[in-house]
Amino acid sequence: MIISDAQQIKMLSSSEMDLIHEGTCRVLSQIGVKVTHEDIAELLVSKGAQRKGDRVLIPKNMVEKALADTAKTIQFDAPNPDYGFTVNASENQAKFGTGGQALYMVERTSEGWKEKLAGAHDLKQILALCDQLENVDFITRPVECDVPEDQMDVEKAKIFRDYSSKPMNLANLFKRDRLDEVLDIIGDPAYVSFIVCLVSSPLVMDTPSGDKLKAIVEKDLPVAISSCTQGGSTAPFSEVGELMQLNAEVLFGYVLANAIRPGAKVLYRGIPITSNLYSDGSPRWCQPESIRRVALATQLCRYYNIPCCATAGVSDEAEPSAQAISEKVLCWTYIIASGGHYINSALGMLNQVMSVSLDQYVIDDILLKIVKEKFKKNESKEVSHLAMDAMVEGLKLFGITVDEKIEEELRARIEHVEKSLEPYNEDNVSQQVDIIEKAVTQSGGSTVFMKASRVGLRKGYLYTGNRIDSPLDLTRVDERLEAVSIPE
Amino acid sequence: MSEQELLNELEHVILMGHINEEDEGLDGTMQGTPGTEELVKKALEEGIDPEKLLKTFGKAMEKVGEKFESGEFFLPDMMASGECVGNAMEIVEPKLAAGTSYEKGKFLIATVQGDLHDIGKNIVATMIKGAGYHVKDLGIDVPADNILEAIKEYEPNFVGLSALLTTTMTEMEQVVKRIREEGYSDIKIFIGGVPTSQEFADKIGADHHCKDAMEALNKLEKVRDAS
Ligand code: B12
Repeated sequence: MIISDAQQIKMLSSSEMDLIHEGTCRVLSQIGVKVTHEDIAELLVSKGAQRKGDRVLIPKNMVEKALADTAKTIQFDAPNPDYGFTVNASENQAKFGTGGQALYMVERTSEGWKEKLAGAHDLKQILALCDQLENVDFITRPVECDVPEDQMDVEKAKIFRDYSSKPMNLANLFKRDRLDEVLDIIGDPAYVSFIVCLVSSPLVMDTPSGDKLKAIVEKDLPVAISSCTQGGSTAPFSEVGELMQLNAEVLFGYVLANAIRPGAKVLYRGIPITSNLYSDGSPRWCQPESIRRVALATQLCRYYNIPCCATAGVSDEAEPSAQAISEKVLCWTYIIASGGHYINSALGMLNQVMSVSLDQYVIDDILLKIVKEKFKKNESKEVSHLAMDAMVEGLKLFGITVDEKIEEELRARIEHVEKSLEPYNEDNVSQQVDIIEKAVTQSGGSTVFMKASRVGLRKGYLYTGNRIDSPLDLTRVDERLEAVSIPE
Repeated sequence: MSEQELLNELEHVILMGHINEEDEGLDGTMQGTPGTEELVKKALEEGIDPEKLLKTFGKAMEKVGEKFESGEFFLPDMMASGECVGNAMEIVEPKLAAGTSYEKGKFLIATVQGDLHDIGKNIVATMIKGAGYHVKDLGIDVPADNILEAIKEYEPNFVGLSALLTTTMTEMEQVVKRIREEGYSDIKIFIGGVPTSQEFADKIGADHHCKDAMEALNKLEKVRDAS
């Protein structure tokens, strides 16, 4: 889908973006990234980085060179050529895909929703279904196969080859030395892309992921460099602090990828969500403050003018529900408007990335269509209105009566997404850099971030509102599921 | 300041999760004022009986627990108070007579090899330390050899293992097997992490599965009471 320039939102001014960029460069040049992979550390040093103990410090000019060198357009081909597409950094074009590595499948039974461990058979079913859903543009591996780890890549490739005709994002490569075999099975490397979580938060490079990134980039395959910080546990609770750390972790990946191969086909995948500090610290993927932060990361990526792999629509709900619908629609709308190009985890995902459901893929396919239409029909309308209209229509379509109370709740969420609760200034940047440094240099870093979050918690950084609780009418889903063919 | 005033103040700073002069405390205003560590040192210098300090820690943590139950306190508040007590114990410990009854036991904790997840493990470690146990945290991605070496050296009563990936659950199984094979049959093994369950614990020969830090604390206290 394409959005108009008027619909593209910028929640920060360009000087605020500059501030985040400068703060990020401070994080990278002062604190750096812990690298225990000797070859990678040497490679970075040969390009201008410095070593300080086990940390590698990246100077600003290296970051800016990587941003200049990196690929600005990336082509994704598919077995069915009609499904191929190009991501162009400067365009407002959004494509949607699945996502995952979920542990469970949620299934509808006569006693309600039931969770079961996911495996190869589920992967086949999901791929077959998504091949027939019109709003799925590409497939990111939703669940893994239930086979030993050293066979995972090959097994997964075979299922992708047999059940998908769309661009294929295999996500995690388990064994680097199986890459050639995987490409042989798929038949054409141009269909394939990956995701690498290179840096564990806060600021530690994962050694095996370094090797995997190298193997993928050397083959000139597209790869999303991913960081999923959790404000309050693996990153500052402050949005300013979290954005800087997240950006530093992703841009470190850009520096490395472009050191391996200038012009590397890298996508920016920044997922700055929050930790539920009201309860057990679990991640909040689709709550208003997380939607705001992911939107800001998406906008930051567009500020750099590089291809953006955004993540939108991972509900925190354990099963298909009215609440899940409202979360997903709000999230997609803001991420689309923020300029996300290659939006994954957009369909099927529940339970904080831990579950997927065939029913949810169909629900999301229907909902995405509504969101797309809202953008298309109202080229100049503000995103807050588009989000409201789409949420209301989406809920109604599944049998929910949207009364004033629900509307009020939806409005409060939109307000939270749009409102900044923190100053964007030098003082805040310095304070956040200090917290990051402290967390990085002490063991049990997550406790540093947690302790530093007490004031923000009381300032309302985490949205508190009401769940939308109402039974769903799934007639449409049944009809759709009956009309598709999926392996028994 | 009288002894009672000092103990009251100590209870207050623990409640506010004010660890030392450097942190801001619960309400963000306490930086630069004496925190738990400073007050504990002062109390010891003034000759206050260490047992009275321990009582104060217990009283403060009880209040923290109540405030958490009632919704006034949140996870970070509890963590900060837990850390206050954990750090204070390290200062008080050398002053206590060996083998005194408040030695709750030693807890060794680690995230198994291949796994980098530590948020949950850190919460568990902090809370257990705050409850008065000795905690040794080996960190993340810890090979079985290192865990066994640490057991030999540290002689824990309890070992806690964390795994968040289905792929590292098998590593957890190996670690438990090695611990038992090396003859440590008395050590109680606690496991946790999203993909694990009591069923899995039973299968691999671990003693307890805990779904969160609270359950870990409860089970730990029960096991200790039973022995
Ligand atoms: C945060 C996170 C990360 C962070 C970790 C940061 C960190 N410093 O820990 C990062 C981004 C680094 C990460 C990386 C990866 N992750 Co991850 N991650 C998560 C996430 C979103 C949250 C985990 C968390 O912190 N929860 C909050 C804490 C408080 O809860 P907890 O850990 O469960 O701990 C509580 C209890 O379980 C218990 N407990 C835990 N340990 C112990 C130990 C003892 C002794 C006791 C008594 C109790 C106990 O008490 C704790 C406190 O209440 C989960 C999804 C989820 N919702 O759980 C995925 C998840 C665990 N990750 C997953 C994956 C796949 C990965 C990666 C492989 C991604 C990739 N493609 O590269 C890498 C693997 C890296 C590695 N080798 O470990 C999958 C696992 C799926 C599977 N099939 O195994 C999950 C389920 C998400 C998903 N579906 O994709 N991840």
